[in-house]
Amino acid sequence: MKTQLRNGLQTGLAFWLISAFLFLIGFTDTAAVLFGDIIHDEDLRPGFGLTTGMVNMLFFLGLLGIWAGARAARAARAPGEALAAGIAAGLVHGLGVGGLAWLVGTLHESKVRMSTYLAQLLPETIQLFVLEKAPAEAAAWHFVLLLATGFAGGLLGFFLGRPGWREAIAAGWRQLSSHAGSLSTLQRIRASRAFGPSLAVLGIIVLFTLPLRLDQYWNYTLGTVGIYVLLGLGLNIVVGLAGLLDLGYVAFFAVGAYTVALLTAPAPHKLLWSFWVALPIGVLLAALAGVLLGIPVLRMRGDYLAIVTLGFGEIIRILSRSDILTGFTGGPKGVLNIGGPQFMPRLFSNEINFLYLILLCVFLAIFITVRLQHSRIGRAWEAMREDETVAGAMGINTLQYKLLAFAIGAAFAGLGGVLFASRNQFTGPEDHNLMVSINVLAVVIVGGMGSIPGVIAGAFVLKGLPEVLREMEDYRIVLFGALLVIMMLIRPEGLLPSSRRKLEVHQQDPNQPDEPIRGRL
Amino acid sequence: MKKFVPYLTQKPISTYHIIQIVLGIIFSVYLLWRLYQVFIANPTYGPDTWARFAISGIVLGSVYALIAIGYTLVYGILFMINFAHGDVMMIGAFGGYFVFEALSFVPSPTPANPEEVFLNAHPIISVILAFAVGVSVSALSGYLLERVAYRPLRNAPRLVPLISAIGASIFLQNAAQLLFGAQRRDYTNPEQITRGQGWGIPIGESTVILTYTGVLTFVLSILIMLGLYLLVKRTRLGRAMRAVAENKSTAALMGINVDRVISQTFIISGALAGAAGVMWGIHLGLVFHFVGFLPGIKAFTSAVLGGIGNIPGAMLGGLFLGMVETTGPAILGIDFQLKDVIAFSILVLVLIFRPTGILGEVLSEEKA
Repeated sequence: MKTQLRNGLQTGLAFWLISAFLFLIGFTDTAAVLFGDIIHDEDLRPGFGLTTGMVNMLFFLGLLGIWAGARAARAARAPGEALAAGIAAGLVHGLGVGGLAWLVGTLHESKVRMSTYLAQLLPETIQLFVLEKAPAEAAAWHFVLLLATGFAGGLLGFFLGRPGWREAIAAGWRQLSSHAGSLSTLQRIRASRAFGPSLAVLGIIVLFTLPLRLDQYWNYTLGTVGIYVLLGLGLNIVVGLAGLLDLGYVAFFAVGAYTVALLTAPAPHKLLWSFWVALPIGVLLAALAGVLLGIPVLRMRGDYLAIVTLGFGEIIRILSRSDILTGFTGGPKGVLNIGGPQFMPRLFSNEINFLYLILLCVFLAIFITVRLQHSRIGRAWEAMREDETVAGAMGINTLQYKLLAFAIGAAFAGLGGVLFASRNQFTGPEDHNLMVSINVLAVVIVGGMGSIPGVIAGAFVLKGLPEVLREMEDYRIVLFGALLVIMMLIRPEGLLPSSRRKLEVHQQDPNQPDEPIRGRL
Repeated sequence: MKKFVPYLTQKPISTYHIIQIVLGIIFSVYLLWRLYQVFIANPTYGPDTWARFAISGIVLGSVYALIAIGYTLVYGILFMINFAHGDVMMIGAFGGYFVFEALSFVPSPTPANPEEVFLNAHPIISVILAFAVGVSVSALSGYLLERVAYRPLRNAPRLVPLISAIGASIFLQNAAQLLFGAQRRDYTNPEQITRGQGWGIPIGESTVILTYTGVLTFVLSILIMLGLYLLVKRTRLGRAMRAVAENKSTAALMGINVDRVISQTFIISGALAGAAGVMWGIHLGLVFHFVGFLPGIKAFTSAVLGGIGNIPGAMLGGLFLGMVETTGPAILGIDFQLKDVIAFSILVLVLIFRPTGILGEVLSEEKA
């Protein structure tokens, strides 16, 4: 019982912090809008002087409360224990959030302008949070809501979490799937040799007809997703296959973007070359940059490599916006009017056609990656990732393969940069900041290191989903950060992991001692 | 103590070493030539300017040193780079900022000035309060960081906690941006230690100002570093920390609670970063969500320079980097815009050519 109460109190405290944080960054507002979009509840007429927005906000808080209760009751063995844990969590959570509501409400009533210091605490956000009621009343609402949901969550978590239930659900699912699987036609279709290829052909047909049916905005978004797939595939080779954590990946992206920019734009060099000439040059230069960066850092591993590549990326960014290179790269203002691809006049001039070009490049990259991954080179990379020393002992020239990984990864990034700059017809230092590297890293990590479907899924989730949930725009990057941590905590192999990686992460690496042997302070 | 080096592990001199030596000689010659140019052949700056550079370099360096110690402590114990350490410093800077802001609204009338505010009436208490709050919030966030993002991953492959740390850093930066807004804020110092004011020291025909904030920062950071050194060398906790750094399982067998020591290490390193953050605010005056990034990287550079895992090394590295950053552009004759490039270049060069740092131990290849 004591442990249950302690669990409850700790969970309540943690969830209070989470709820308070979400309110302080203004997420309660956003959540209300999001739920409103999902439920379409204009006709809902709640009583008690509540608006639909408030109900949505309370609904969101209630979900948090249920989660808190369920989480608190995770170790409960009897309904009573679960109840105690849930109530304890609800009590702390409710008291905390209620207290916050009271405090904020009181300050708001005495006309303190909190948004000077806490940027998101605009009057509307506060009004919504205190339900346009007196501070004490609002506090009571929050307290009762969170206590009740904590109680409910405790019970719910207990009953749903019971092994019996879990087994029953799992058995039901197995039966269902085996039943569905045993349907003769379905089984025959899946077993036939044409299944895979025809699925691929179907996918390609859908992908290539889709752009025609979509408007410009969605084509643009899909194009961005495509470019991130490209970047992700490149970084996947470096990080996922070869196991080299590169935080300066944006440097190669920048090389590609600036190459096409300087070669095709009217200013600052007035070269006005064709896009088709600039494209391979950009890719080659990026690959060259990859090799050049790779040579000095060849002997490093892990953390140091990450820091050095980060340093290189920052050096490039600082140089590109400093005055000394303004004459050459356009300085902080960037390069305008970058040329686009032209092939049989005007064929590639609009968004739709550009999307086709991006899709082509993505398919090319996927093809190259698949062939590489299953070749001698790919196996060498994976061996190197697992254990460099052993890989070297097995006769793999690790230096050479590292350089190759850097070069190919950089070439993909260069291609991405060429496409990105040419599509936007603009590139500047702000397009090439650290966040690009982090975004791409997040794509690879969330999708699953070393897995091609994973990278594609990651790009859709991280670059496509935020476009669908426009309200989430402000929270995107903070979510990326949280997501990187959460993925590492609960699913380090990613959403769609490669089978090998999955095994590896869940198995204690026998070569990895529990701790390094020796250190010094 | 002379280490026993087995005959077979002595590597022959490779091309890599030759390149290293040649590059080193070329760079040293260039540096000497530049020094000759700047100081003797055609001095562009007078001694007063150099004094200014040196003063601001030392003050900046002492802040870097404080942050660097945090990196070194954590690296010494967990062998991981605490990527979010700079952001812990940012949190401390915000803590101090809010204390000063709040105190500048608290009335504290004196006979001389009935509209006096607490901040100016009691500057010493205000500064102490600012440091207390900044240090506590940073220590707390250091503790939470370890608890949430690092502890569950202690036995995971090395890439995993590193990515988690990067994620935590991004999270903290952007959470701060959402919470406090993206604008840059000015620290409101007590008027007794207004930025830029100080004792004038005549050098040559002009006077160099030794700012109050600079002296405060430098003295305080030296005191903190001394305290930390004593803590690590003399106290029970320090001994436990050294034992854990040496070997976790043996330390555990000796009755040391390893988890608790690691937590305490993060609390100490967070507290140091918090103090550095408040100093940063008081001395340089600007605080915003991204304020921890560059000092973080530079402090890491200092830690690497001094040999990561080595506390006196981190202090020296910090002071050295501060000096290089302020005097480097003048000595090398490049634009002051590029002072960050110098810091990054040092980082890259040291990691490439001497990853053990200047005072560092010889790390095994596995760790480097």
